[in-house]
Amino acid sequence: MLSDCPHYAFMPWRRRPRITWPGGARIAFWVVPNIEHYEYDPPPNPRRMPWTRPVPDVLNYSWRDWGNRVGFWRMAEVMARYGVRGSVSLNVAVCDHYPEIIERCCELGWELFSHGTYNTRYFYGMSEEQQRAVIRENRETIRRASGQEMDGWLTPAISNDETTQHILAEEGVNYTLDLLHDDQPTPLITRAGSLISIPYSLEVNDVPLLIMRNTPPDRYAAICKAQFDTLYEEGAESGTVMCLPVHPYLIGQPHRLAAFEEVLRHVTSHDGVWLATGREIAAHYRAHHLAEHQAWIAAGTP
Amino acid sequence: MTGLPEEYLRYPRRRRGMDHDRYPFRALPTAPPVRWPGGAPIALWIAVHVGHFPMDMPLKPFVAPGGMERPYPSFWDYTQRDYGNRIGIYRLMRVLAQRGLSASALLSARLAERYPVLMEDIAAAGWEVVCAGLDMGHLHHGEVPEEAERAWIAEAARLLRGRFGTVRGWHSPAHSESHRTPDLVAEAGFTWSCGWVNDDMPYVMATAHGPLLIMPLPQDLSDQRMLFQQHMATEDFTAAILAAYRLLRVEAEATGGGRILPVVVTPWVMGQPHRIPAFAALLDSLLAEGGIWPGPAEAILAEWQRQQPG
Repeated sequence: MLSDCPHYAFMPWRRRPRITWPGGARIAFWVVPNIEHYEYDPPPNPRRMPWTRPVPDVLNYSWRDWGNRVGFWRMAEVMARYGVRGSVSLNVAVCDHYPEIIERCCELGWELFSHGTYNTRYFYGMSEEQQRAVIRENRETIRRASGQEMDGWLTPAISNDETTQHILAEEGVNYTLDLLHDDQPTPLITRAGSLISIPYSLEVNDVPLLIMRNTPPDRYAAICKAQFDTLYEEGAESGTVMCLPVHPYLIGQPHRLAAFEEVLRHVTSHDGVWLATGREIAAHYRAHHLAEHQAWIAAGTP
Repeated sequence: MTGLPEEYLRYPRRRRGMDHDRYPFRALPTAPPVRWPGGAPIALWIAVHVGHFPMDMPLKPFVAPGGMERPYPSFWDYTQRDYGNRIGIYRLMRVLAQRGLSASALLSARLAERYPVLMEDIAAAGWEVVCAGLDMGHLHHGEVPEEAERAWIAEAARLLRGRFGTVRGWHSPAHSESHRTPDLVAEAGFTWSCGWVNDDMPYVMATAHGPLLIMPLPQDLSDQRMLFQQHMATEDFTAAILAAYRLLRVEAEATGGGRILPVVVTPWVMGQPHRIPAFAALLDSLLAEGGIWPGPAEAILAEWQRQQPG
């Protein structure tokens, strides 16, 4: 077993080589809708049961189903109103089950990246060959459904195994969201290839906030705005990233949509905000900052 | 590394639509608009969970929310739930009646035997009765044998129909069902059900015994979830209902149809003295906003069904 996450060097939050964003923006703000399908009757995984109740877990299955039938459409409408594109963390089987959702995402100019096949198929315990097979199949599915390349990755239910990041790098995946160690993109250490990390978030992610921390809608908006305000302020020194991960089955609920809208209104009312996608953030970082960060690490982060 | 069994990478139900055969996928914006009587944008459905929690209820395979979480004998849990059926429900009846509103009781059928007086009062209040299984100790789930489940449903139907006559609506306790619950419920003569939380508007579920209409009954936005399970403040719940009202009203008006606002409350939660004024104020706020048609579930479903194409 690992005692350490082996994928990055220590990079203190001081005297880092400065990150600049396009147009002189202070902050790259990106919204990650997790568009998922949780299976009605999934196979068991040795490390995690997919459902808390015996199958069928009608309450939890139907709640997530609501996200695709109702929540997604509302959420997408609000984002479009504020000119915010999504970078979709996609269970790629959604391309087969609900192609109308994929059509809508493409119509809105959203990026699609992989969040595995289903949110009930974990990477825990997969062999390297199995992980590789899923990654390759996911890339093909996204290409077939949208014509897009699969640049990004978030392991389904963040269920990565020890070698997942290495395999992503070997398979040519551009960026991963499985690591929560930073507020900027960072280089990652993998046995081959070139993988970078872009900030995701569990702090302003609606699942931990609304379900695990029992946050009412107005507090959700206040917390997300506070997260933005600090990263925006610090971004004057060196460009930061704020990721707002959302789940249609939660944020699209009629009692929460206004809180989500309030966050988008707050963010888009500021100058100096780059409304980006994951792919755009990764490309800019690679073109302008990756080498400098690597050199700084090599020099011992002076 | 040996990895996982090869089936783990096979997806036999990966196909267009759902991974089961109960209903086709429907994106809500594609559903034809349904208009409520008088052109009201919002159909208000007040659903009250009137549950009986036996002190010796099974704690496996999971404890129903509100179940006996403390060691046996939990007078703590039992009596607080029972308070709802003695006291809290009468407060709900009072504030609803004062405003000319009715409700639907999602009723544990055992209460028909235990508290016949409460049944008389529910009938006198003109509340709609929905069968919510035998009691909270009889959860329908995937490990219940078919014959047992069929017998529970038959007994629950017998108890409530014996008291109230026709009872057409069903709710499985704790929103929990087995694979075959919809079939057995339809077989027992129920025509609609609530408990699948996958839409904001009704839809039709296929069963082995004909179609079953599904009425939206949220749990994410319910007093038991927010106030009991999630420990939020009463005002968080009432503010959330008002926020839902505003969103649904805008959506109704934009689509030229109507939406349903379910207000889901529980006597042992919302019927507490410190909460009842907030519930009354919530009702007043909703009524002051206007645009509300307070249909009971079966009236809402009848309107919905009448306007379905074909």
